[in-house]
Amino acid sequence: MLAPIFHIAAGVSAGLGIGIGGGLGAVGAGIGIGFIFGKVIEAVTRQPEMRDEITSIQWLGFALTEACFFYGLVAGLLSWVLK
Amino acid sequence: MSNTKKILLGIGAFYVLGLILLLLIFGVTTHKNNEFQPQNEFKLDNWVNLGVFSINRAVLYLFIAAVLTIFTMMFVARRMRARPNRVQTGTEVLFSLMRDNITRGNMDDSMAARWFPYIGALFLFIWYCNLIGYIPLPTNTEEKFNLFGAQIPSFALYAATANVSVPLVLALVTFVAFNWEGFRTHGFFGYFKSLIPSGVHGPILLLIAPLEVISLFMRLISLTVRLFANILAGHMIILFMAGGLAVIIGASWLGWFTLPAGVLLYLFELGLVATLQAFIFATLSAIYLGSAVSHH
Repeated sequence: MLAPIFHIAAGVSAGLGIGIGGGLGAVGAGIGIGFIFGKVIEAVTRQPEMRDEITSIQWLGFALTEACFFYGLVAGLLSWVLK
Repeated sequence: MSNTKKILLGIGAFYVLGLILLLLIFGVTTHKNNEFQPQNEFKLDNWVNLGVFSINRAVLYLFIAAVLTIFTMMFVARRMRARPNRVQTGTEVLFSLMRDNITRGNMDDSMAARWFPYIGALFLFIWYCNLIGYIPLPTNTEEKFNLFGAQIPSFALYAATANVSVPLVLALVTFVAFNWEGFRTHGFFGYFKSLIPSGVHGPILLLIAPLEVISLFMRLISLTVRLFANILAGHMIILFMAGGLAVIIGASWLGWFTLPAGVLLYLFELGLVATLQAFIFATLSAIYLGSAVSHH
């Protein structure tokens, strides 16, 4: 009797997995990326001669932060695949 | 009104008209499509069965990337001129990025001379792997289409780096390399001692030491997942935006609606993510190699 309920619950929770994983991951990564680029603008306006050096660090920071979004997304996808 | 504005306006009008037309013809109906499985787009069919060494599409992409890495670079190196043409200038920019920014920026000069070939090859190989992933090639043997009687595999976007095992192997090579460098410089116990930040004494060591060892292994996981998930998620979102979502839900207007997002995401992935991920992988490998031999 409970089997269909569990089945539906499994489907819903798999969808929730992607939603929460991707959504919360995007929140965190969005804040982080905004912070990095904000700081880069601040740093470059203060010391324009450091621009080249800051640019390479900026992309490093961007990619490291962006990866956090994908950790969330991969966790969500795993919950979907393993449902 | 300038020409660019006219063209943009035309495209916008075409988009809106197409959307309205599709909505009028097919309506806002949806039906669930269970036949199309999006994960099959990343499935690996064995084309030549050789057990563990079976040849599938990931292997094909790896071969193409390896051949391109070797031959384009040898081609440029053989035809060096005092007055460089455009290709040579581009390659020289790439070379100085790899040598000066990535390698020499993160380790001392004697070590940079030894490890530059590895870091450079890593960068170029991952770069080519990512870039050829954005060219549609007829590799999807799961779905075939009929062209004058010949069964041709569907054109599909796929990258070898979207498969978890390829970045894992590359990360393992880096992992072994920086640990080997660390052991060589500090000795077996000295290396573990060098992992612990200076100024940490007493009982707090019991907490810090395991954490440092765990973080050593986390480097392996984060290197792998960063590359693989970036490329996989990029390909997936292009797939969904460029029509996959419409096929699953069964609404043709949705495909038209999301197509511009698909094109924009394709350009973003091609222009930024493909290069950036190769750069990050090479830079982090260089940072790990440099930090393994430093005293801190």
